[in-house]
Amino acid sequence: MNRKKLLTGPYFFWAVAFILIPLAMVLYYGLTDVDGHLTYENLLAIGTVENFKALCLSLLLSIVSTAICLLLAYPLAMILSGMKVNQTSFIVLIFILPMWMNFLLRTMAWQTLLEKNGVINQLLGFLHLPSIQLINTPYAIILGMVYNFLPFMVLPLYNVLSKIDKDVIFAARDLGATELYTFRKIIFPLSLPGVVSGVIMVFVPALTTFVISDLLGGSKILLIGNVIEQKFKQGSNWHVGSGLSLVLMVFILISMVVTTKYDKDGQGGMF
Amino acid sequence: MKKTARNIYLALILILMYAPIVTLMILSFNASKSRSKWGGFTLQWYSSLFRDDAIMSALYNTLVIAFLSAILATLIGTCASIGINSMKSRWRTVFMGVTNIPILNSDIVTGISLMLLFIACRFTLGFSTILMAHITFNIPYVILSVMPKLKQTNKSTYEAARDLGAGPFQAFMKVVFPDILPGVLSGFLMAFTMSLDDFIITHFTKGPGVDTLSTKIYSEVRKGIRPEMYALSTLLFLSVMVIMILVNSAPKEPDKKLSLELENEKKKLPLRQVIPAALVILVAGAGFLFHLGSKGSVSDEKLIVYNWGEYLDPEVIDIFEEETGITVTYEEYETNEIMYPKIMSKAIAYDVVCPSDYMIQRMRENDLLAKINWDNVPNIKNIDPTYMEQSRSFDPENEYSVPYCVGTVGILYNKTMVKEKVDSWDILWDEKYRDSILMQDSVRDAFAVALKRRGYSLNSVVVDELIQATDDLIAQKPLVQAYVVDQVRDKMIGNEAALGVIYSGEALYTQRENPNLEYVIPKEGTNVWIDSWVIPSNAQNKENAEKFINFLCRPDIALMNFEYITYATPNKAARDLIEDDSIRNSRVLFPEAEDLKGSETFQFLGDEADSYYNELWNKVKSK
Repeated sequence: MNRKKLLTGPYFFWAVAFILIPLAMVLYYGLTDVDGHLTYENLLAIGTVENFKALCLSLLLSIVSTAICLLLAYPLAMILSGMKVNQTSFIVLIFILPMWMNFLLRTMAWQTLLEKNGVINQLLGFLHLPSIQLINTPYAIILGMVYNFLPFMVLPLYNVLSKIDKDVIFAARDLGATELYTFRKIIFPLSLPGVVSGVIMVFVPALTTFVISDLLGGSKILLIGNVIEQKFKQGSNWHVGSGLSLVLMVFILISMVVTTKYDKDGQGGMF
Repeated sequence: MKKTARNIYLALILILMYAPIVTLMILSFNASKSRSKWGGFTLQWYSSLFRDDAIMSALYNTLVIAFLSAILATLIGTCASIGINSMKSRWRTVFMGVTNIPILNSDIVTGISLMLLFIACRFTLGFSTILMAHITFNIPYVILSVMPKLKQTNKSTYEAARDLGAGPFQAFMKVVFPDILPGVLSGFLMAFTMSLDDFIITHFTKGPGVDTLSTKIYSEVRKGIRPEMYALSTLLFLSVMVIMILVNSAPKEPDKKLSLELENEKKKLPLRQVIPAALVILVAGAGFLFHLGSKGSVSDEKLIVYNWGEYLDPEVIDIFEEETGITVTYEEYETNEIMYPKIMSKAIAYDVVCPSDYMIQRMRENDLLAKINWDNVPNIKNIDPTYMEQSRSFDPENEYSVPYCVGTVGILYNKTMVKEKVDSWDILWDEKYRDSILMQDSVRDAFAVALKRRGYSLNSVVVDELIQATDDLIAQKPLVQAYVVDQVRDKMIGNEAALGVIYSGEALYTQRENPNLEYVIPKEGTNVWIDSWVIPSNAQNKENAEKFINFLCRPDIALMNFEYITYATPNKAARDLIEDDSIRNSRVLFPEAEDLKGSETFQFLGDEADSYYNELWNKVKSK
């Protein structure tokens, strides 16, 4: 058995070289100032009114879009797992396929759809309905997040749901449980690992995104991802940018703790 | 009833997933270059796509990198999963935690930290560094998809195989591997897809001359995405879809309950073989196409050019290579701010770069530039002396820079929506145009508008003036439809907004697409910008760089570039060659001195003032 652990060797070196050392460099930048002195100021930068507001807004938008993703994906995953398609790869492909179109092109296509004179409003006009303001609102950002990250919610949910033993559900029904009660007592608890990993896979990228808020929010809505991006790019201030990234990593750490607690067996994988 | 509801729900989700994809496909047949205008049906982008060497080589790189990184990541990741699976739970948690980092970390942090690492290790940025970076963020996807399958395998079967005399390797291949294969395959597919879609990490870890489709698309954002990209995406997408349909239309097994393991094996077989095989064919095919197009000439004389995206007629490079025998490596960037860290880190020895005014000053002050030997650039005489004079604001002795493109920042307005005379920045604060104003989404450009409106210098560092400008911008925010950089163009063409702040170089193009648009320079004055060629201090081929600059100053060449990018040229001799009177005498492109009264060029204000500006801009944006 021991020899198997050696197989981890290449990955171990790879992870140290390309994951941990770069991470240490971020840590170094985050905890020093321009002259290389130790400072906590970069971390405290999260406390300024603007940055804190951006963080709260990011949290709000990503929580809302995660919730929507969950609400959309759960019935979808139930339908898909109930279907007789026995090919996981088919389901996986349907949701991975859109990623073969470039992310930026896809998001720009949403602009064409949502704009004032865009496709949706022209359709509404055709039906003699009043046009609606879609682009450059928080709703457009949420839509963009839901669209881009929905696959990350569907896949783990589909995975756990299709693994649930149908006999358990039948047994519950035989014993007189209503459909709702079966769901509450059997299906949902069994799908929890998938829910947790889906929630994290959607929540974290939604929290750090900046492209979606730029393109669909008209840059009028500042998210924490935009702040960090701005620090790295426009201000060329890597120290504050790294400091803010470290603060964001706290959320990532929390999510990792949650995963290990609820998903002990790693059932809620993507595939 | 329930079934109908179910189908409607499925259909709705699929519409959500595929609406943008369909939009892109339709755009690939659009004769107009702008995404917000339908110019008729055409197939020309499909034919020009295959003639475009740059796109084809980017496609080749993309596929090769995606393929190699996915294969290597699958190998390393699968081995690692087996190892991790046999560990005690504490170590397993640690490893899985580390594995989650690249997935959960924001791309820009991963990208910059990897770049710093590569520089520290003295790796030359290029194909191999992109590959390493991609393997790094691909491994976790493989591990995350293999681990669950490994956990499902029954340990006793492996031990049984061992008891029956199989060696560890044989037992693994015969017993464990078939069970985890679906996980390995989907891990590979996921890794391939992620690598295909990545931009930010690639951007920071790539070297000159190596482009992937993503970096190519992003460098085009400034001048508008070329429709060839839509065509290429459509083709890529359709070919994958066809493969998928082929795989899934394989004959179905007759009865599920009766089917044995063997039957299952048969059913999975096509998928196993077809997907990798199809990928190999794709890669090989792209490689073949690429090599058909590329010329095999390799010479010792080299030149590495680093320029804005879509900021040079590709034919010009061909002519230069032909005339001088120098091999040009051409690389593009999206903004000054993305270019600067790469020059500063000296990761790559670029020979000639084309930054904007204030950035040149910043590079000069940080000793990143070499003085140009004017004896090698006799064609400098073609450049209008007024622009040489203007360059003094960032290059006081005219030692470092040769002007390439010039222009102003002004207001583009739609005559059908704005009936009054537009001649002042004030109109951008007019309540009438609520929600139809587009502002520039960059600190300095936005503040320049607010400062100039009040009659202050756009290089102001006076705190009171800046606070006043900040308040003005905050007051303006409810009226602003969006803060944008490049999309002003498309949005104005598509009649999305009445007024937009835009660079004069875009005026010609937008007017061609939508004749109702008009460009004005406000009377309070504006920003006059100059993009100039400079030679970094660590350039390896300085003389070739000077040859290149001299070549670009030749009137016929400057004219070619002007016609390609439509930004005004400071080259007087080239301007005289323009045939169209209305363009040659256009005051939008070539403003007279009186139009530019009160106008200034941006200066680099120092790191401290820079971060103060950023802080104030943050205040505006977060209101």
